[in-house]
Amino acid sequence: MRGIFFIGLGILFLNILPAQAAELPEWHGFAEQAYGYRISRDSLTKHRDYNMLEQRIQLKTRYAIPGENFLSARNGVITYKGDFVLDEYFATTGSFDLRELNLAFSPQSFIDIKAGRQILTWGTGDYVFINDFFPKDYVSFYIGRDDEYLKKPSDALRISLYPKAANIDFVLIPDFTPNTMPDGDRLSFFDSFQRGIVGRDSQRNAVKPAFKAENMQYALRIYRNFESTEGALYYYRGFDPSPRSYLDEANFQLFYERLDAYGASLRGPFASGIGNVETGYYRSRQDAHGDNRLIENSMFKLLVGYEKDMGNDLKIGAQYLYEQKLNYSAYRSALLPGDFFWDEYRHLLTQRITKLFKNQTVTLGLFNFWSPSDKDGYVRASCAYDISDQWKLVFGVNLPWGEDMTTDFGMMKKNKNAFVRARYSF
Amino acid sequence: MRKTLVFLAALFFVSNAWAQELNVDEIVIKANNRSYYQGKDGRAKVTMVVTDAQGRKRERQLTILKLNVQEGADQKYFVYFHKPNDVKGMSYIVWKHAGKDDDRWLYLPAMDLVRRIAASDKRSSFVGTTFLYEDISGRSIDLDKHELSASDAAYYTIKNTPKDAALVEFSYYTVKIDKNNFVPMKAEYFDKSGKLYRTIEALEVKVIQNYPTVTRMKAADLNAGSNTIAEFSDISYDIGLTDNIFTERFLRTPPQQWLKE
Repeated sequence: MRGIFFIGLGILFLNILPAQAAELPEWHGFAEQAYGYRISRDSLTKHRDYNMLEQRIQLKTRYAIPGENFLSARNGVITYKGDFVLDEYFATTGSFDLRELNLAFSPQSFIDIKAGRQILTWGTGDYVFINDFFPKDYVSFYIGRDDEYLKKPSDALRISLYPKAANIDFVLIPDFTPNTMPDGDRLSFFDSFQRGIVGRDSQRNAVKPAFKAENMQYALRIYRNFESTEGALYYYRGFDPSPRSYLDEANFQLFYERLDAYGASLRGPFASGIGNVETGYYRSRQDAHGDNRLIENSMFKLLVGYEKDMGNDLKIGAQYLYEQKLNYSAYRSALLPGDFFWDEYRHLLTQRITKLFKNQTVTLGLFNFWSPSDKDGYVRASCAYDISDQWKLVFGVNLPWGEDMTTDFGMMKKNKNAFVRARYSF
Repeated sequence: MRKTLVFLAALFFVSNAWAQELNVDEIVIKANNRSYYQGKDGRAKVTMVVTDAQGRKRERQLTILKLNVQEGADQKYFVYFHKPNDVKGMSYIVWKHAGKDDDRWLYLPAMDLVRRIAASDKRSSFVGTTFLYEDISGRSIDLDKHELSASDAAYYTIKNTPKDAALVEFSYYTVKIDKNNFVPMKAEYFDKSGKLYRTIEALEVKVIQNYPTVTRMKAADLNAGSNTIAEFSDISYDIGLTDNIFTERFLRTPPQQWLKE
């Protein structure tokens, strides 16, 4: 199905192209070499000394449909972006990662449509997502790839409506794309089946929802400005993008439980900076009463954030995230003796400091996660140097830590790395 | 003949006297409106070449769309980046407010992310050039005390002293304003010890749709030895920009008809 869609888009592209061969679109992109050295040796994973070694060429183009036809009259644009990757960590012969291939147009003055593979993001958090259920790649995040790779593309139809009262984004995702989570080959993690930190010996696997009509995912955002303040309401019906529920314990199988989520956010000027608040209620549809020990509880989440420009190209930011499982006593009483279980609450604090030097060509960045309840954290620090308009060099470290091996960052503590990326943009 | 001369001389004196009668605030308001508020709206493509002390060059290219909400006060800006290639496709919206912080949003297409930018410091570099945000979107005239420090046949020279010296890095700056058209031709910034450290100069002025417009401009940082030359092309005024262009919709989907390469 997905193949047919892209072939269709390809045919459309080819049909339009020959007529305007003289006006071929511009191609841009970059070539990048990246290496991530393990600060903490980890013999559980495929390579104990490094967790990233790859070359990447990204090509992208944007093609405004020319001529006089239905799409050109409606601002039709085709966007393509794809990465050729030589991932030496897995010693592959090379792979291709199609990041974007979509058609955007405005059938009416108050409607925008984007169909095809696309990156989708919304919400007010900084590296913290409450109402953004679009797929993410946390492996890329932990090994130090560019921020761009934290977001995975979705094959989706996005319909945006702009009536007077408010703006509406409606996204339909027919086929489920899960988050990319550490699975032991590259990053070790806590495997609740084995009750310990595991690497390649993990037998854990996650079963994706099948591609069928009842598994269609819907995401809705209604948003508007109140003067300088942005308000938004969110709704999502689909699946938890990370596998948190047990399908078959004997076969080490997890699955992505069904999820409904309702949320709201505000963002605007506050105390001579920018303040934001976002909240979400997650209803675990297959465990509405919370008494199924195998399925994730319903949850409440609240995020409060603040960012301020201190002058001299120095910016600081802070966030507080509160998470609570809503039927915790039902969950606890359903547990069997010896079951591994999760905590009821989680408090997470983040800090961001960004300082630019040398006419904004050098960026020093520090992002810190710290959870007093989980007693863990994750320090991300980087220094990016724009040597010229083409060359860019980034050094950084990823330092997850924690007292326990079961918490989000604590389980990652053997995956500390220092990375370097050199990029040539064209 | 003599009569004509007398008449011309009289006219010169009268016009001069009339010009002299403009008080300093009127001159400043006229110059500010000339620089930042001409037309109902406007569009320009800007190419900026930054040259550092070692002679290394960097290039920035962007399209700026501007809508005046209220003359001399609120404005909306849409900035679309063409170059360098690593920022190509990013767009930026500013709602400039008189008397309070601007609202700014940046769109990063690679992540489909609309980021709200905390930006109370208007005296930081504009996209890594020698120009500051305030040079591009204008410094509120209420922030300074203005004095007419000199006036010759061609120029007014205005000395501007900040009302709150703690907010800025200069102790004062002077601006030479062309008497004919009120275009500010040169600004010189003096640091707290009274030393000249920064200049902005209009290198070329053209009349576009009856609006005298600076089409080439240079900012120099005398301490760092760096400078930026900005060239404005494809300039047009009163093109019919509407308020809705300066919203998240067009941040995500840049308005193509105004952004031709």
